[in-house]
Amino acid sequence: MSSPDGISSPERISSPALSALCVGDSVPPLTIEITPRLIVAGAIASRDYQDVHHDKDAALALGSPDIFMNILTSNGLVGRYVTDWAGPGARLKKVSIVLGAPNFPGDVMTLSAEVSAVDVDSGEVELQVLGANALGAHVSGSVQLVLPTR
Amino acid sequence: MPAALPDLQQYVGGDYGPFLAWDKVNAPMIRHWCEAMGDTNPIYTDIAAARDAGFEGLVAPPTMLMAWTMPGYGAARPPGSAAAESALGVLEHIEAAGYPGVVAVNCEQEYFQYLQEGDSLYYRSSCESISEEKTTAIGTGFFVTELASFYNQRDEAVGTQRFRVFKYRPRASESI
Repeated sequence: MSSPDGISSPERISSPALSALCVGDSVPPLTIEITPRLIVAGAIASRDYQDVHHDKDAALALGSPDIFMNILTSNGLVGRYVTDWAGPGARLKKVSIVLGAPNFPGDVMTLSAEVSAVDVDSGEVELQVLGANALGAHVSGSVQLVLPTR
Repeated sequence: MPAALPDLQQYVGGDYGPFLAWDKVNAPMIRHWCEAMGDTNPIYTDIAAARDAGFEGLVAPPTMLMAWTMPGYGAARPPGSAAAESALGVLEHIEAAGYPGVVAVNCEQEYFQYLQEGDSLYYRSSCESISEEKTTAIGTGFFVTELASFYNQRDEAVGTQRFRVFKYRPRASESI
């Protein structure tokens, strides 16, 4: 399924069963088409009016080939990707990202993640997340969350 | 000719703020965010779903943390905010010494509680660290980390954001 923005929306599922979760398990990938519409919408939703996120001439003047996605949008997409998988009962605790190659219009970013820690008693789960585009790793990092314990 | 580089470690620390949010945590801004992100988690838009998940009412996506306190289009802080700019003021001093480039490197957010509709936020910031001069693929400069601590209307700590930038002299200009 695809929205007008080209963001694919997997079917929402309830939280993954904590007891069945293992280190090394992967989260289904999510592809996101990087469009000017998405970059501008994300910048404005995060109240970031820096010109390089909406004004191509300003971006070119700074040596960039086009406008590019702001960090708070990348951060928001990572959070959304994780809770798409974890379900409405999950609680995000920490999102820690490193930025790499910019997200320019016309590119596609594929988010993927792998479970790196699970505590069945507390429900605490850690994921390693990667958002890759044609240029390489746009965003990489870790997310800590708590899944329902029953 | 660039200014001499001051002793940067004198800028580490400090306590800047408060920096207030223009608006309380509210459903329209949450919905706009969720539309842009493609986030269909119902706890952000459906009160019944939020209550089912254990909240009193609508909550905001945790990753919106910094969005609430951004100055916005007017590039101004709400009344009651500190006049001085944040802990990243040191970037101006580094730039004056011949390091014009800046790029964000890391963003690390921790969430101590979910923000509820009606919450009123502010943050305080400090300069957590400034690195020694380092050379990377894009140039030579300094990593500067700002730590922003967020509070609600009851002065409860609700989250933190560490934001690290690289303030640098581009590699290409080094031979000029």
